[in-house]
Amino acid sequence: MRSKCHKIERLVSDYIDGTLSERQTADVTSHIHSCGVCKREVADLKKTKHLLKNFYTEPEASDTYYAQFATQLQQRIEESAPTATYQRIAAAVTRFGWQLRTQVYRYTDCFRLSRFISIRQQVLPYYVLALTMLMLIATPFLLTHFPLDNGSDSVRFPSTAVHPGVTLGVKQENAASHDIGTRRNLNSERKTEIPSVDSGSDIWKFTNDRVVDGYIFTTLHKESSDRVPNVALDIDSELLTYAEFPAQDATWVQLTGRDVLTDRRYALLLLRGINTRQHAHQEYERKRSEFRGFSHNLLDVPLEMMSVEVGYDLIEL
Amino acid sequence: MDRTEALLIADLCEGDETALAPLIERYKRMVYRLAVQITKNSADADDVMQETFIKVYRSIHTFRKDATFETWLYRIAVNEALNFVKRRDRRKENSLETAAESEYESTVRHSAQVANDPHAQAEKSELRQHVTAAVNSLPLKHRTVVILHEFEGLTHAEIASILNCSEGTVRSRLHYARKKLRTLLKPYMDARTV
Repeated sequence: MRSKCHKIERLVSDYIDGTLSERQTADVTSHIHSCGVCKREVADLKKTKHLLKNFYTEPEASDTYYAQFATQLQQRIEESAPTATYQRIAAAVTRFGWQLRTQVYRYTDCFRLSRFISIRQQVLPYYVLALTMLMLIATPFLLTHFPLDNGSDSVRFPSTAVHPGVTLGVKQENAASHDIGTRRNLNSERKTEIPSVDSGSDIWKFTNDRVVDGYIFTTLHKESSDRVPNVALDIDSELLTYAEFPAQDATWVQLTGRDVLTDRRYALLLLRGINTRQHAHQEYERKRSEFRGFSHNLLDVPLEMMSVEVGYDLIEL
Repeated sequence: MDRTEALLIADLCEGDETALAPLIERYKRMVYRLAVQITKNSADADDVMQETFIKVYRSIHTFRKDATFETWLYRIAVNEALNFVKRRDRRKENSLETAAESEYESTVRHSAQVANDPHAQAEKSELRQHVTAAVNSLPLKHRTVVILHEFEGLTHAEIASILNCSEGTVRSRLHYARKKLRTLLKPYMDARTV
């Protein structure tokens, strides 16, 4: 009898919760009818459960407390942004380098393709002035990022974009940095699998991948569509890309990809040949104005994560 | 416009900080409850709450859809609270404060002394005090299981997932916790209240 009681005792807690199987429930019920000790045990535990349910006082705070808490939490989140001097400097350098590179890419492209006409006349002088100032200020950066002895670092794009597909350029790891890269080096002979980008309901495929002057050019292609993935491409649920649209009549669009800071995947994507851009432009502006962290996160990615030169593996997409 | 929870989470993943406030609004009471019950101290609970929501903000991209957001939040909150208590207890040991009693422990002791005269505890408000004190007197692991099961209504499987232990362990802790509570609350199990 004692061993039976011991066996039943282990089931009592589940018995009062009603989580036993029918057979086990029947066993316990049958036993407690014939055993006074176990019957009292069950009764006491039921009373205990009843007391807990009806007389336990759950802690609660006032609305004032919760309001103060929300304020304090907001402050902490803001304070948790980079505050140390070196972090601020690193963020500023990263931001500046990114902007500089953007400008260089933009104008190199425009000059090579003779697309002055596509830029409105009144805007052009400002672009030229801004570029000149940037070049003067940032010569060290240019020498670092665009060494004169390596012509492959200059950005040259195919002269025409494929429509309705969208040409996508991804900077390839240059020869000098191969030794530090753990990622696969991409070359013009290598055939890669064709990854795809799931942009909401549309699937965009990368095709025609090839390497030109250190960039992988590929095409985002979708049949029977005049749309391109605009503001946010969700690549493999992790890599987010955002489009920044320059002048209204520009015939190309630059996408910047950023990882959600979980790993080191990051890419600068150059997207060309877009005709429909108004919606994407509005979406981008909305995000930038409404979400305080948007630009901040976009630009404060650590430098090494921004370096497309360290290799961008299409397979990882 | 009221955003759904899934949308809030997606926005937060995208870096939209404004999505955090509605999530806090939904779950602040739950997290506060857990934090106070586990730490047994409202000031400590405040720290746990902050750490919990900061962790949510920073780690939202690690949230996978294989569990509900609520379960994921429970896991963060409970673990933050347990770690806080462990660190606090370690500090107490190092600073020779082991003799010090928390506000809840003090209440429990008082309750146990008064419990010698159960007839004096007719009032329900006092009974509430004793039941609460009895729960707070449980060892940390047992108390956590009781809180999650009895008051938060989680299943054994959910608790096992949150505490990263087996369901058998959860059942065992719950059983022993109830037996301890039965002993502590025995004087109050009369016909008037039960």
